[in-house]
Amino acid sequence: MEINFEHRHAAHCENGVVRNLLNFYGIKLSEPMILGLGSGIFFSHMPFYRLNGMAMTSFRPFPGSIFSRVTHALGIEVQWHKFKDPDKAMAKLDEVLAQGTPVGLRVGVYHLAYFPKEYRMHFNAHNLCVIGKEGDEYIISDPIGMNKNRLSAENLKKVRFAKGNTPPEGRMYYIKSTEHYKPLNAHMLNRAVLKTCSDMLGIPFPMFGAKGIAYLAKRMRKWERLYGERGAAMNLAQVIRMLEEIGTGGAGFRFMYAAFLQEASEFLNKPEWNQLSMELTEVGDLWRDFSYHAARFFKKREGIILSYDDIADKLEIISARETEVFRKLENSVKRGY
Amino acid sequence: MKVKDVPQDDEFLQPDGDVLLRDRTYALDDEGKYREVPSAGWAPKNEAIKFSLSNKGEEALEVRKDVLAGKYSPLMYHMIRLVMTTRILADYTGLSKRKIHKLCKPKHFASIKSDELFRIADAMNISVEELTSID
Repeated sequence: MEINFEHRHAAHCENGVVRNLLNFYGIKLSEPMILGLGSGIFFSHMPFYRLNGMAMTSFRPFPGSIFSRVTHALGIEVQWHKFKDPDKAMAKLDEVLAQGTPVGLRVGVYHLAYFPKEYRMHFNAHNLCVIGKEGDEYIISDPIGMNKNRLSAENLKKVRFAKGNTPPEGRMYYIKSTEHYKPLNAHMLNRAVLKTCSDMLGIPFPMFGAKGIAYLAKRMRKWERLYGERGAAMNLAQVIRMLEEIGTGGAGFRFMYAAFLQEASEFLNKPEWNQLSMELTEVGDLWRDFSYHAARFFKKREGIILSYDDIADKLEIISARETEVFRKLENSVKRGY
Repeated sequence: MKVKDVPQDDEFLQPDGDVLLRDRTYALDDEGKYREVPSAGWAPKNEAIKFSLSNKGEEALEVRKDVLAGKYSPLMYHMIRLVMTTRILADYTGLSKRKIHKLCKPKHFASIKSDELFRIADAMNISVEELTSID
Protein backbone atom coordinates (compact mmCIF):
# COMPACT_ATOMS: atom_id res chain seq x y z
CA MET A 1 0.00 0.00 0.00
CA GLU A 2 1.34 3.41 -0.89
CA ILE A 3 -0.35 6.75 -0.32
CA ASN A 4 -0.41 9.04 -3.34
CA PHE A 5 2.07 11.47 -1.85
CA GLU A 6 4.20 13.91 -3.78
CA HIS A 7 7.80 13.54 -2.65
CA ARG A 8 9.77 16.75 -2.98
CA HIS A 9 13.36 17.40 -2.12
CA ALA A 10 14.02 20.09 0.49
CA ALA A 11 17.02 21.65 2.18
CA HIS A 12 16.00 21.07 5.78
CA CYS A 13 14.39 17.85 6.98
CA GLU A 14 11.77 19.39 9.27
CA ASN A 15 10.73 22.12 6.82
CA GLY A 16 10.59 19.52 4.09
CA VAL A 17 8.34 17.16 6.04
CA VAL A 18 6.00 20.01 7.04
CA ARG A 19 5.89 21.34 3.49
CA ASN A 20 5.21 17.91 1.97
CA LEU A 21 2.55 17.08 4.58
CA LEU A 22 0.76 20.38 4.00
CA ASN A 23 1.06 19.86 0.25
CA PHE A 24 -0.71 16.50 0.66
CA TYR A 25 -3.68 18.37 2.13
CA GLY A 26 -3.66 20.88 -0.69
CA ILE A 27 -1.90 23.72 1.14
CA LYS A 28 0.88 24.94 -1.11
CA LEU A 29 3.67 26.84 0.63
CA SER A 30 7.33 27.12 -0.27
CA GLU A 31 10.10 25.87 1.98
CA PRO A 32 11.46 29.32 2.94
CA MET A 33 7.90 30.35 3.81
CA ILE A 34 7.62 27.38 6.19
CA LEU A 35 10.93 28.36 7.77
CA GLY A 36 9.80 31.95 8.19
CA LEU A 37 6.35 31.07 9.55
CA GLY A 38 7.93 28.57 11.94
CA SER A 39 10.59 31.10 13.06
CA GLY A 40 13.19 28.47 12.26
CA ILE A 41 16.31 30.62 12.46
CA PHE A 42 18.23 30.91 15.69
CA PHE A 43 21.66 30.78 17.22
CA SER A 44 22.89 29.28 20.45
CA HIS A 45 26.23 28.15 21.78
CA MET A 46 26.00 26.19 25.00
CA PRO A 47 29.32 25.04 26.49
CA PHE A 48 27.48 23.28 29.33
CA TYR A 49 25.45 21.09 26.93
CA ARG A 50 27.65 18.50 25.28
CA LEU A 51 27.18 16.81 21.94
CA ASN A 52 29.75 14.09 21.15
CA GLY A 53 31.82 15.51 23.99
CA MET A 54 31.96 19.02 22.55
CA ALA A 55 30.04 22.20 23.24
CA MET A 56 26.74 22.35 21.42
CA THR A 57 26.30 25.01 18.77
CA SER A 58 22.93 25.22 17.12
CA PHE A 59 21.49 27.30 14.31
CA ARG A 60 17.90 26.16 14.77
CA PRO A 61 15.31 26.23 17.53
CA PHE A 62 14.30 23.10 19.38
CA PRO A 63 13.27 20.27 17.00
CA GLY A 64 9.54 20.04 16.44
CA SER A 65 8.93 23.74 17.00
CA ILE A 66 8.71 24.59 13.30
CA PHE A 67 5.92 22.03 12.81
CA SER A 68 4.02 23.26 15.87
CA ARG A 69 4.36 26.95 15.02
CA VAL A 70 3.39 26.59 11.37
CA THR A 71 0.34 24.41 12.01
CA HIS A 72 -0.72 26.60 14.93
CA ALA A 73 -0.47 29.75 12.81
CA LEU A 74 -2.47 28.20 9.96
CA GLY A 75 -5.10 26.78 12.31
CA ILE A 76 -4.43 23.14 11.42
CA GLU A 77 -5.13 20.43 13.98
CA VAL A 78 -2.31 17.97 14.52
CA GLN A 79 -1.75 14.87 16.61
CA TRP A 80 1.49 13.93 18.39
CA HIS A 81 2.35 10.56 19.89
CA LYS A 82 5.23 9.45 22.06
CA PHE A 83 5.88 5.84 23.12
CA LYS A 84 7.75 3.79 25.67
CA ASP A 85 7.18 0.44 23.94
CA PRO A 86 8.67 0.06 20.43
CA ASP A 87 6.09 -2.56 19.38
CA LYS A 88 3.19 -0.29 20.31
CA ALA A 89 4.88 2.54 18.40
CA MET A 90 5.06 0.42 15.24
CA ALA A 91 1.48 -0.84 15.67
CA LYS A 92 0.20 2.74 15.98
CA LEU A 93 2.17 3.75 12.89
CA ASP A 94 0.56 0.88 10.90
CA GLU A 95 -2.88 1.83 12.18
CA VAL A 96 -2.59 5.47 11.11
CA LEU A 97 -0.99 4.53 7.77
CA ALA A 98 -3.85 2.14 7.05
CA GLN A 99 -6.26 5.09 7.22
CA GLY A 100 -4.33 6.69 4.38
CA THR A 101 -2.64 9.37 6.48
CA PRO A 102 1.04 10.16 5.84
CA VAL A 103 2.93 10.19 9.14
CA GLY A 104 5.92 12.28 10.14
CA LEU A 105 8.50 10.62 12.37
CA ARG A 106 11.40 11.90 14.39
CA VAL A 107 14.38 9.56 14.17
CA GLY A 108 18.05 9.29 15.07
CA VAL A 109 20.51 9.05 12.19
CA TYR A 110 23.14 6.78 13.78
CA HIS A 111 21.53 3.58 12.50
CA LEU A 112 19.74 5.02 9.46
CA ALA A 113 20.60 2.52 6.69
CA TYR A 114 20.73 4.87 3.68
CA PHE A 115 23.00 7.49 5.24
CA PRO A 116 26.71 7.45 4.37
CA LYS A 117 28.79 6.45 7.37
CA GLU A 118 30.33 9.92 7.55
CA TYR A 119 26.94 11.47 8.34
CA ARG A 120 26.00 8.94 10.98
CA MET A 121 26.49 10.71 14.26
CA HIS A 122 24.34 10.57 17.35
CA PHE A 123 21.93 13.18 16.09
CA ASN A 124 18.37 12.47 17.15
CA ALA A 125 16.33 15.19 15.51
CA HIS A 126 16.07 14.05 11.92
CA ASN A 127 12.57 14.06 10.42
CA LEU A 128 11.12 11.87 7.71
CA CYS A 129 7.73 10.94 6.43
CA VAL A 130 6.30 7.42 6.12
CA ILE A 131 3.94 7.13 3.20
CA GLY A 132 3.30 3.43 2.75
CA LYS A 133 4.05 -0.15 3.64
CA GLU A 134 4.76 -3.14 1.44
CA GLY A 135 5.28 -6.45 3.21
CA ASP A 136 7.96 -5.81 5.79
CA GLU A 137 9.22 -2.61 4.21
CA TYR A 138 8.12 0.95 4.75
CA ILE A 139 8.13 3.50 1.97
CA ILE A 140 9.88 6.60 3.20
CA SER A 141 9.85 10.11 1.85
CA ASP A 142 12.97 11.66 3.33
CA PRO A 143 13.09 15.31 2.22
CA ILE A 144 16.87 15.43 2.01
CA GLY A 145 16.92 12.60 -0.55
CA MET A 146 16.12 13.41 -4.16
CA ASN A 147 14.05 10.20 -4.41
CA LYS A 148 11.77 8.11 -2.23
CA ASN A 149 13.26 5.09 -0.58
CA ARG A 150 12.51 2.03 1.50
CA LEU A 151 13.46 1.01 4.99
CA SER A 152 12.95 -2.34 6.71
CA ALA A 153 10.62 -2.45 9.71
CA GLU A 154 13.51 -3.57 11.90
CA ASN A 155 15.70 -0.63 10.92
CA LEU A 156 12.84 1.84 11.29
CA LYS A 157 12.13 0.55 14.77
CA LYS A 158 15.76 1.00 15.70
CA VAL A 159 16.05 4.56 14.43
CA ARG A 160 12.76 5.56 16.04
CA PHE A 161 14.12 4.44 19.38
CA ALA A 162 17.62 5.83 18.99
CA LYS A 163 19.40 6.72 22.21
CA GLY A 164 21.59 9.59 23.28
CA ASN A 165 20.82 13.27 23.85
CA THR A 166 17.13 14.14 23.36
CA PRO A 167 16.05 10.62 22.31
CA PRO A 168 13.14 10.63 19.81
CA GLU A 169 11.18 8.06 21.87
CA GLY A 170 9.22 6.95 18.81
CA ARG A 171 7.67 10.38 18.32
CA MET A 172 5.20 10.54 15.44
CA TYR A 173 2.93 13.31 14.19
CA TYR A 174 0.28 13.77 11.57
CA ILE A 175 -2.36 16.26 10.49
CA LYS A 176 -5.76 15.49 11.96
CA SER A 177 -7.96 18.01 10.19
CA THR A 178 -7.69 21.14 8.10
CA GLU A 179 -11.22 22.27 8.97
CA HIS A 180 -10.15 25.57 10.56
CA TYR A 181 -7.46 26.34 8.00
CA LYS A 182 -6.73 30.03 7.54
CA PRO A 183 -4.86 31.10 4.39
CA LEU A 184 -1.58 32.94 4.78
CA ASN A 185 -2.02 36.60 5.75
CA ALA A 186 0.01 39.62 6.80
CA HIS A 187 -0.81 39.20 10.48
CA MET A 188 0.69 35.70 10.59
CA LEU A 189 3.86 36.82 8.83
CA ASN A 190 4.31 39.82 11.14
CA ARG A 191 3.81 37.66 14.21
CA ALA A 192 6.28 35.05 12.99
CA VAL A 193 8.87 37.70 12.17
CA LEU A 194 8.44 39.33 15.59
CA LYS A 195 8.90 35.94 17.24
CA THR A 196 12.12 35.43 15.26
CA CYS A 197 13.38 38.90 16.22
CA SER A 198 12.61 38.35 19.88
CA ASP A 199 14.48 35.01 19.74
CA MET A 200 17.46 36.61 18.06
CA LEU A 201 17.57 39.81 20.14
CA GLY A 202 15.57 39.47 23.31
CA ILE A 203 16.79 36.45 25.30
CA PRO A 204 18.66 37.82 28.34
CA PHE A 205 21.50 35.26 28.35
CA PRO A 206 24.77 35.76 26.47
CA MET A 207 24.69 32.42 24.63
CA PHE A 208 21.44 32.84 22.70
CA GLY A 209 20.52 34.91 19.66
CA ALA A 210 22.71 37.22 17.61
CA LYS A 211 24.87 38.16 20.63
CA GLY A 212 25.49 34.41 21.11
CA ILE A 213 27.74 34.56 18.06
CA ALA A 214 29.97 37.06 19.86
CA TYR A 215 29.88 34.76 22.87
CA LEU A 216 31.08 31.89 20.67
CA ALA A 217 33.87 34.17 19.44
CA LYS A 218 34.87 34.92 23.02
CA ARG A 219 34.99 31.20 23.86
CA MET A 220 36.87 30.44 20.65
CA ARG A 221 39.77 32.64 21.71
CA LYS A 222 40.23 30.42 24.77
CA TRP A 223 39.88 27.06 23.00
CA GLU A 224 43.58 26.40 22.36
CA ARG A 225 44.36 27.14 25.99
CA LEU A 226 41.46 25.04 27.29
CA TYR A 227 41.49 21.99 25.02
CA GLY A 228 44.90 21.98 23.33
CA GLU A 229 45.50 22.22 19.60
CA ARG A 230 43.62 19.06 18.61
CA GLY A 231 40.71 19.66 20.97
CA ALA A 232 40.31 23.19 19.65
CA ALA A 233 40.26 21.94 16.05
CA MET A 234 37.67 19.31 17.01
CA ASN A 235 35.46 22.01 18.49
CA LEU A 236 35.84 24.13 15.39
CA ALA A 237 34.96 21.13 13.21
CA GLN A 238 31.81 20.70 15.27
CA VAL A 239 30.78 24.31 14.63
CA ILE A 240 31.35 23.94 10.87
CA ARG A 241 29.37 20.69 10.82
CA MET A 242 26.43 22.32 12.55
CA LEU A 243 26.66 25.32 10.24
CA GLU A 244 26.90 23.48 6.93
CA GLU A 245 25.71 19.94 7.61
CA ILE A 246 23.05 18.75 5.16
CA GLY A 247 19.84 20.54 5.94
CA THR A 248 20.69 24.18 6.47
CA GLY A 249 20.27 25.50 2.93
CA GLY A 250 23.74 27.01 3.28
CA ALA A 251 25.28 29.12 6.06
CA GLY A 252 23.09 27.89 8.91
CA PHE A 253 19.67 28.86 7.44
CA ARG A 254 20.77 32.45 6.74
CA PHE A 255 20.27 32.11 2.98
CA MET A 256 16.95 30.33 3.42
CA TYR A 257 15.67 33.04 5.77
CA ALA A 258 16.80 35.66 3.28
CA ALA A 259 14.76 33.82 0.64
CA PHE A 260 11.79 33.96 3.02
CA LEU A 261 12.18 37.71 3.50
CA GLN A 262 12.25 38.17 -0.26
CA GLU A 263 9.11 36.07 -0.75
CA ALA A 264 7.33 37.85 2.12
CA SER A 265 8.31 41.26 0.76
CA GLU A 266 6.57 40.39 -2.52
CA PHE A 267 3.56 38.94 -0.71
CA LEU A 268 3.11 41.99 1.54
CA ASN A 269 4.44 44.49 -0.99
CA LYS A 270 7.11 45.68 1.44
CA PRO A 271 10.24 46.56 -0.56
CA GLU A 272 12.22 47.27 2.62
CA TRP A 273 12.14 43.56 3.49
CA ASN A 274 13.78 42.77 0.17
CA GLN A 275 16.54 45.20 1.17
CA LEU A 276 16.93 43.34 4.50
CA SER A 277 16.98 40.07 2.58
CA MET A 278 20.01 41.31 0.63
CA GLU A 279 21.70 42.37 3.89
CA LEU A 280 21.08 38.92 5.38
CA THR A 281 22.54 37.38 2.22
CA GLU A 282 25.71 39.38 2.85
CA VAL A 283 25.78 38.00 6.41
CA GLY A 284 25.40 34.50 4.92
CA ASP A 285 28.37 35.17 2.68
CA LEU A 286 30.37 36.22 5.75
CA TRP A 287 29.44 32.89 7.39
CA ARG A 288 30.65 31.05 4.29
CA ASP A 289 33.89 33.03 4.40
CA PHE A 290 34.26 32.01 8.05
CA SER A 291 33.77 28.29 7.22
CA TYR A 292 36.20 28.52 4.34
CA HIS A 293 38.95 29.95 6.53
CA ALA A 294 38.12 27.68 9.44
CA ALA A 295 38.42 24.59 7.22
CA ARG A 296 42.09 25.46 6.70
CA PHE A 297 42.73 24.28 10.23
CA PHE A 298 41.87 20.75 9.13
CA LYS A 299 43.50 20.63 5.73
CA LYS A 300 46.61 22.67 5.31
CA ARG A 301 46.26 24.27 1.91
CA GLU A 302 48.29 26.95 0.21
CA GLY A 303 47.85 30.47 1.53
CA ILE A 304 47.63 32.11 4.89
CA ILE A 305 46.35 30.12 7.84
CA LEU A 306 44.54 32.37 10.25
CA SER A 307 44.68 32.04 14.02
CA TYR A 308 41.69 31.43 16.27
CA ASP A 309 41.79 35.12 17.18
CA ASP A 310 41.38 36.07 13.51
CA ILE A 311 38.38 33.86 12.87
CA ALA A 312 36.87 34.97 16.18
CA ASP A 313 37.12 38.53 14.85
CA LYS A 314 35.10 37.42 11.82
CA LEU A 315 32.41 36.04 14.12
CA GLU A 316 32.22 39.31 16.02
CA ILE A 317 31.57 41.17 12.79
CA ILE A 318 28.86 38.64 11.90
CA SER A 319 27.29 39.08 15.33
CA ALA A 320 27.12 42.85 14.91
CA ARG A 321 25.70 42.58 11.38
CA GLU A 322 23.01 40.09 12.39
CA THR A 323 21.97 42.21 15.35
CA GLU A 324 21.61 45.15 12.98
CA VAL A 325 19.54 43.17 10.43
CA PHE A 326 17.12 41.77 13.00
CA ARG A 327 16.87 45.14 14.78
CA LYS A 328 15.82 46.74 11.49
CA LEU A 329 13.38 43.90 10.83
CA GLU A 330 11.81 44.32 14.26
CA ASN A 331 11.47 48.06 13.76
CA SER A 332 9.88 47.59 10.34
CA VAL A 333 7.10 45.53 11.92
CA LYS A 334 6.65 47.45 15.18
CA ARG A 335 7.08 51.01 13.99
CA GLY A 336 6.60 50.72 10.27
CA TYR A 337 10.08 51.77 9.10
CA MET B 1 25.82 33.59 -2.74
CA LYS B 2 25.22 33.48 -6.49
CA VAL B 3 23.70 30.51 -8.33
CA LYS B 4 26.93 29.93 -10.25
CA ASP B 5 28.93 29.73 -6.98
CA VAL B 6 26.90 26.86 -5.52
CA PRO B 7 29.48 24.17 -4.68
CA GLN B 8 29.19 20.60 -5.96
CA ASP B 9 31.82 18.64 -4.04
CA ASP B 10 30.43 15.16 -3.52
CA GLU B 11 32.87 13.03 -1.58
CA PHE B 12 30.94 10.51 0.46
CA LEU B 13 29.85 7.14 -0.85
CA GLN B 14 26.13 6.66 -0.34
CA PRO B 15 25.09 3.12 0.59
CA ASP B 16 21.77 3.48 -1.21
CA GLY B 17 22.52 5.35 -4.43
CA ASP B 18 18.83 5.58 -5.42
CA VAL B 19 18.04 7.92 -2.54
CA LEU B 20 20.61 10.48 -3.72
CA LEU B 21 21.08 12.57 -0.59
CA ARG B 22 21.59 16.15 -1.58
CA ASP B 23 21.85 19.53 0.03
CA ARG B 24 19.62 22.26 -1.33
CA THR B 25 21.13 25.69 -1.34
CA TYR B 26 19.36 28.98 -1.74
CA ALA B 27 21.28 31.30 -3.99
CA LEU B 28 20.71 34.56 -5.86
CA ASP B 29 20.38 34.62 -9.64
CA ASP B 30 21.45 37.53 -11.84
CA GLU B 31 18.25 39.47 -11.22
CA GLY B 32 18.63 39.28 -7.44
CA LYS B 33 15.92 36.64 -7.01
CA TYR B 34 16.40 33.59 -4.81
CA ARG B 35 16.58 30.22 -6.54
CA GLU B 36 16.80 26.71 -5.10
CA VAL B 37 19.83 24.79 -6.33
CA PRO B 38 20.58 21.20 -5.29
CA SER B 39 24.16 20.95 -4.10
CA ALA B 40 26.22 17.81 -3.66
CA GLY B 41 28.30 19.22 -0.82
CA TRP B 42 31.00 21.72 -0.06
CA ALA B 43 34.71 21.05 0.45
CA PRO B 44 35.16 22.87 3.82
CA LYS B 45 32.21 20.97 5.28
CA ASN B 46 33.49 17.65 3.95
CA GLU B 47 36.90 18.42 5.42
CA ALA B 48 35.37 19.15 8.83
CA ILE B 49 33.48 15.85 8.74
CA LYS B 50 36.55 13.91 7.60
CA PHE B 51 38.67 15.60 10.23
CA SER B 52 36.42 14.55 13.10
CA LEU B 53 36.26 11.01 11.74
CA SER B 54 40.00 10.67 11.20
CA ASN B 55 40.58 11.98 14.70
CA LYS B 56 38.38 9.20 16.04
CA GLY B 57 40.31 6.76 13.83
CA GLU B 58 43.64 7.86 15.28
CA GLU B 59 42.29 7.62 18.79
CA ALA B 60 41.01 4.12 18.02
CA LEU B 61 44.42 3.06 16.70
CA GLU B 62 46.05 4.20 19.93
CA VAL B 63 43.52 2.21 21.92
CA ARG B 64 44.17 -0.79 19.64
CA LYS B 65 47.79 -0.82 20.83
CA ASP B 66 46.54 -0.88 24.41
CA VAL B 67 44.22 -3.75 23.55
CA LEU B 68 47.13 -5.73 22.12
CA ALA B 69 49.11 -4.95 25.27
CA GLY B 70 46.27 -6.38 27.33
CA LYS B 71 45.19 -3.11 28.94
CA TYR B 72 41.71 -2.88 27.42
CA SER B 73 39.25 -5.32 25.87
CA PRO B 74 38.23 -5.20 22.16
CA LEU B 75 34.96 -3.55 23.27
CA MET B 76 36.84 -0.36 24.13
CA TYR B 77 38.42 -0.26 20.66
CA HIS B 78 35.08 -0.72 18.89
CA MET B 79 33.41 1.87 21.08
CA ILE B 80 35.95 4.53 20.08
CA ARG B 81 35.98 3.42 16.42
CA LEU B 82 32.21 3.56 16.08
CA VAL B 83 31.86 6.90 17.94
CA MET B 84 29.90 5.31 20.80
CA THR B 85 29.98 6.47 24.38
CA THR B 86 29.42 4.41 27.51
CA ARG B 87 26.17 6.19 28.22
CA ILE B 88 24.65 5.71 24.77
CA LEU B 89 25.73 2.07 24.64
CA ALA B 90 24.21 1.52 28.08
CA ASP B 91 20.94 3.07 26.86
CA TYR B 92 20.83 0.84 23.77
CA THR B 93 21.69 -2.42 25.51
CA GLY B 94 19.88 -1.96 28.81
CA LEU B 95 23.09 -2.78 30.67
CA SER B 96 24.33 -0.35 33.27
CA LYS B 97 27.07 2.18 32.54
CA ARG B 98 29.14 0.56 35.25
CA LYS B 99 28.78 -2.83 33.56
CA ILE B 100 29.93 -1.46 30.19
CA HIS B 101 32.86 0.21 31.91
CA LYS B 102 33.79 -3.10 33.52
CA LEU B 103 33.55 -4.95 30.21
CA CYS B 104 36.18 -2.61 28.77
CA LYS B 105 38.72 -4.55 30.84
CA PRO B 106 40.02 -7.86 29.38
CA LYS B 107 39.48 -9.77 32.64
CA HIS B 108 35.73 -9.09 32.68
CA PHE B 109 35.32 -9.26 28.91
CA ALA B 110 36.62 -12.84 28.97
CA SER B 111 33.72 -13.96 31.13
CA ILE B 112 30.98 -12.03 29.29
CA LYS B 113 27.62 -13.75 28.89
CA SER B 114 26.63 -14.58 25.31
CA ASP B 115 23.36 -12.66 25.73
CA GLU B 116 25.22 -9.49 26.70
CA LEU B 117 27.65 -9.94 23.83
CA PHE B 118 24.78 -10.25 21.40
CA ARG B 119 23.06 -7.14 22.75
CA ILE B 120 26.21 -5.03 22.51
CA ALA B 121 26.95 -6.26 18.96
CA ASP B 122 23.38 -5.46 17.94
CA ALA B 123 23.57 -1.95 19.38
CA MET B 124 26.80 -1.30 17.48
CA ASN B 125 25.47 -2.84 14.28
CA ILE B 126 28.38 -5.28 13.96
CA SER B 127 28.61 -9.07 14.22
CA VAL B 128 29.65 -10.86 17.39
CA GLU B 129 32.84 -12.14 15.69
CA GLU B 130 33.79 -8.56 14.80
CA LEU B 131 33.16 -7.41 18.34
CA THR B 132 35.42 -10.03 19.89
CA SER B 133 38.36 -9.40 17.53
CA ILE B 134 40.28 -6.22 16.70
CA ASP B 135 40.99 -6.70 13.00
